[in-house]
Amino acid sequence: MDRLQEGETQELIQSGELAGLIWKSALGIVALAAGVAVVRTCSRILILGNSRRAVHDLRELLFDKLLKLAPSFYQRHQTGHLMSRAVNDVQNVQGLMGPVFMYLSETAALYAICLTSMLTLSPKLTAISLLPFPLFLVAARSLAGRIHQSSREAQERLGQLSAKVDESLSGQLIIKSLTLESFDRDLFIAHATELKDTHLKLTWLRATLMPLMVVLVSFSTFLTLIFGGPMVSGGALSLGDFVALVLYLQMVAGPTAALGFVLSSLQRGAAALARIREILETEVTLQDSSSSPERPVHSGALEVRELTVSYPSSSPTHGDPSPAEKRKRTVLDRISFKAPAGSFIGVVGPIGSGKTTLIRALARQLEIGTGQVFLDNEDLTQLPIREVRKAVGLVPQDNFLFSRSLAENVALGKPEASREAVVQAVEASQLAQDLPQLPKGLDTLLGERGVNLSGGQRQRTALARVMLLRPKLLLLDDTLSAVDTQTAEKILTALEPLMAGRTTVMVAHRLRHLQRADLILVLENGRLVETGKHEQLLASGGLYAALYAQQEQRAALKEDLQREDQP
Amino acid sequence: MNLPASSSGTEPETKLVDRRLAKRFWIFIRPHQRLVWAGLGLLLSASLLSLAKPFLVMRAIDQHMVPGRMEGFYPLAGIFLAVAVLEFFLRRRQMYTVDLAGQKALLDLRVQLFRHLQRLSSSFYDRTPIGRLVGRVTTDVQALQELFSSGVVTILGDLFFLTATFGILLYLNWQLTLVCMVMAPFFLFTSIWIRNRVRGAYSRMRERISQLNTFLHEQISGMPLIQMFLQEEATEKSFRTINDDVRDSQLQTVWWESTLSAAMEMLGSFTLALILWYGGSRITGTDLSGEGASLTLGSLFAFINYMQKFFQPLNDLSMKYTVMQNATIAGRRIFDLLDQEDWIDQRQATDTLPEARGEIRFENVHFSYQHGDPVLQGVSFHVRPGEKVAVVGATGAGKTTLLKLLTRLYDVNQGRIVLDGQDVRHYPLENLRKRVGVVPQEVFLFEGDILSNIRLGKPEISEEAALQAASQMGLDSFVQRFPHGYREPVQERGKNLSSGERQLLAFARVMALAPQVLVLDEATANVDTQTEDLIQSALQALWHGRTALIIAHRLSTIQDADRILVLHQGKLVEEGNHRQLMARRGTYWRLHQLQFEGSL
Repeated sequence: MDRLQEGETQELIQSGELAGLIWKSALGIVALAAGVAVVRTCSRILILGNSRRAVHDLRELLFDKLLKLAPSFYQRHQTGHLMSRAVNDVQNVQGLMGPVFMYLSETAALYAICLTSMLTLSPKLTAISLLPFPLFLVAARSLAGRIHQSSREAQERLGQLSAKVDESLSGQLIIKSLTLESFDRDLFIAHATELKDTHLKLTWLRATLMPLMVVLVSFSTFLTLIFGGPMVSGGALSLGDFVALVLYLQMVAGPTAALGFVLSSLQRGAAALARIREILETEVTLQDSSSSPERPVHSGALEVRELTVSYPSSSPTHGDPSPAEKRKRTVLDRISFKAPAGSFIGVVGPIGSGKTTLIRALARQLEIGTGQVFLDNEDLTQLPIREVRKAVGLVPQDNFLFSRSLAENVALGKPEASREAVVQAVEASQLAQDLPQLPKGLDTLLGERGVNLSGGQRQRTALARVMLLRPKLLLLDDTLSAVDTQTAEKILTALEPLMAGRTTVMVAHRLRHLQRADLILVLENGRLVETGKHEQLLASGGLYAALYAQQEQRAALKEDLQREDQP
Repeated sequence: MNLPASSSGTEPETKLVDRRLAKRFWIFIRPHQRLVWAGLGLLLSASLLSLAKPFLVMRAIDQHMVPGRMEGFYPLAGIFLAVAVLEFFLRRRQMYTVDLAGQKALLDLRVQLFRHLQRLSSSFYDRTPIGRLVGRVTTDVQALQELFSSGVVTILGDLFFLTATFGILLYLNWQLTLVCMVMAPFFLFTSIWIRNRVRGAYSRMRERISQLNTFLHEQISGMPLIQMFLQEEATEKSFRTINDDVRDSQLQTVWWESTLSAAMEMLGSFTLALILWYGGSRITGTDLSGEGASLTLGSLFAFINYMQKFFQPLNDLSMKYTVMQNATIAGRRIFDLLDQEDWIDQRQATDTLPEARGEIRFENVHFSYQHGDPVLQGVSFHVRPGEKVAVVGATGAGKTTLLKLLTRLYDVNQGRIVLDGQDVRHYPLENLRKRVGVVPQEVFLFEGDILSNIRLGKPEISEEAALQAASQMGLDSFVQRFPHGYREPVQERGKNLSSGERQLLAFARVMALAPQVLVLDEATANVDTQTEDLIQSALQALWHGRTALIIAHRLSTIQDADRILVLHQGKLVEEGNHRQLMARRGTYWRLHQLQFEGSL
């Protein structure tokens, strides 16, 4: 269409043709324009539509990946950071794929048309007019590279800011009570200022790139003028051809100027894509090995052989002062024990002795080596993860509640469970006693948009979740720490029938919860320092006995006081 | 892409930036308006230079090339180049200046938003998901930035540019210009008609994206659980449904967007056809009105060129439109949040402040978080200065609520709370909270080092005082283990501190603040015996000489208390010291039998 218009223009001007021809060409333009509009609408719907579909697929890909990544990944990455990738970065990629691709493709088509027309008019002058292009493109490329860098930095800073706000709002109660508003605000302002400075750096680069593309076309026009002028006056080129050529050049000016904007969007999109790819390329550390036998786990028989777990810790944790130890911190050191199906194993030890790590290793939440943990006489790492998770019920220390009803939260692992089953689980975990306090009982909406349960109530919800599933291996990680003794006793009684026939590994602080255990493991600094039954451990007079004595001493003190209370 | 969009393009544009929104945003820009005006000045200068370029080419053609007169031709070309280079520098400076103003305004807006969020009451947070609020401060403000950089100044500049170009067009050939303007109503009608349809599609899309984000936030937070309970497939299915919805709503907007931009371009081509038909006939001397040739070749060139430039500001409208839509919606959401006035009512605050003695009095206090679900039902008690009072009761009895009411995180529904002889509602909030030192169950750590976490940016706490408080609370022993001692950075959420150590740190904070009233919610999680001993002795030092109200989970705390309040289902059922209460063999005795049995 453009070719026709301009070709017609210069021809008409040059030859001074008949009015009828003008009429015809104008009509031709109108007809052509209508046709082009249809084609453009279609091509844009196609390109932009496909970009939306591509982003849709990207989101799906990302989410599928997130579903597969191991718990250790979620310990390393804050939710705020992951959200910033899943939301902001995907948004930026969409900007890259939609308008930018459309623009590039249409600009390319326009360039092709204009350049061909220019070449037919005067190859020499066309070549001269294109001289500045390579120079500018090199400059643009280097700018684009720096824009990419800065975009990335800006996206990361935005992620940090989002994490900061998330943290401040989560802690709003304590910030208010201690009147820390201005202190916390200063921390926020520091982050926001950093973000501002990064953006300004980015702006300066973009403010250089965009006008650069404007001045590029002016340079071309300048060259065409000073070389074309003599050519026209020398008769080497007709005036009409010259004017048409300059008009073609002006025609690509607009899109070329916008190219600066497009390039910087492209870089922003590319930086975002790189951040998303980082997640997509994260190795799935927990997955089925090729030799995994397709069989369910029949019993909860457990054997642990020389289990060693170390965290690649960049965090200087107190207790490992040497730099060598800082790199790899051994959390569990050659732990071995056997738990026949249906046995009850207790785990005790001071804070940081590795109890939670042991539980998480048994639940296949940690990346452990082969030949260390055996479930149902099969290497845990060789069993299909699905089967392991079906067989193992873990009740962690703290718990997350979804924005669903309490009943749905309890039935998380078994959405098809009957109401009676849910009620049973809730009763066994002693959560039923709290139901009257909740506005709609079992149907109370929980989570962010609903009611916030107390720590003890959350623990009991988690317990009910697992009770509903009746797993072969029950793992309780200090599950009753936030529950008062009265309720804890009730829960333990209710647990008894569940524990019968199931292997149970229970971490506990209150030693009397473990008196009935078949075997008690005493951990200290990641090592298994004592094992045995309650009585054996008491008799041996080690760490367990000392811990027990301390607790008993306090209990005795209390009894003394009670005796005094009763004159 | 050469002649897209319409002369009416600015019309919906100005509608988009609704006036109320613009007004409110202006409040944030005003302090930086010098930069805005400077940017606008630069923009106008750059536009003038840009407009001068076709004029220079026209002169070169008409006065030098047509007559074949080459003297003065090269200087003219030189001027053209100089104008282009100057335009580059002006544009660069302009973009930076405008963005500088924008970034400064946005920083102010962010801080204002954050300040506002800090003020909003705790009950607001009970109702509102944090994820959504985080989005306001981060993504939404980010979107508003676009409104600024491609909006405010650009629109003013564009208006000037359009007017100037229109003037030049008229000057070049007013008849031709008026002929072109015949197309204006078509532009206007088409754009308004299509945009009215786009609007609905956009709001649907926004809703769905927000739904998607809420879903993502929750699933990412609970991912380990989803995996543990093998709910990956179900979760993926829900995600797909929402994700598909988002795509479908986006495809709808794409359809309208594409139609709009192509239609505008088509009308642009029609205009060009008009120029050729009308202008071409004039230059060839076969003018329909019979006036004879009145158009030079150079001015026809200039006319077409200016006509293109006339459409230039509206050139990438389809791109801008999306950005502006997002920004407008983001802006509305931000200002809606700023309009939330759900905060603790401070109108009753007086300047007369009683002396801090540490006397607390609850008088028939009723309270519920949700209507019809009472938490406290007529609680009355009196704590004398220097007295240590422990509160006990089962989970959900309303213990923590007492503390939240005393510090006015929430207001009572009925009755009143009196501190040092004055209703807490009559204190300025800050003063009230300064009088009451709170140690919460969960310790909140800020980024920074251990020392800054004790001082908490309070100018009244000197470094020495903070260190002394820390030392009194027994922090020295574990801080020694860090390579940087008290300057050791606290890792995210205090990962490098144990729960016992975090407790001690929280004690040290309050110790350094030295309030007259200590309010403590003891942590329920058990700690090892050694730490337990440390906490015990720290607590003794902490409450020495203060009034203390403690939600007790430790046996020793209860035994050391002067008085114990027993809370049961929102009511105060017993009151007295440990021995008296044991002797009564009532609720306390039962609780004590069970709750503290075997506890460390």
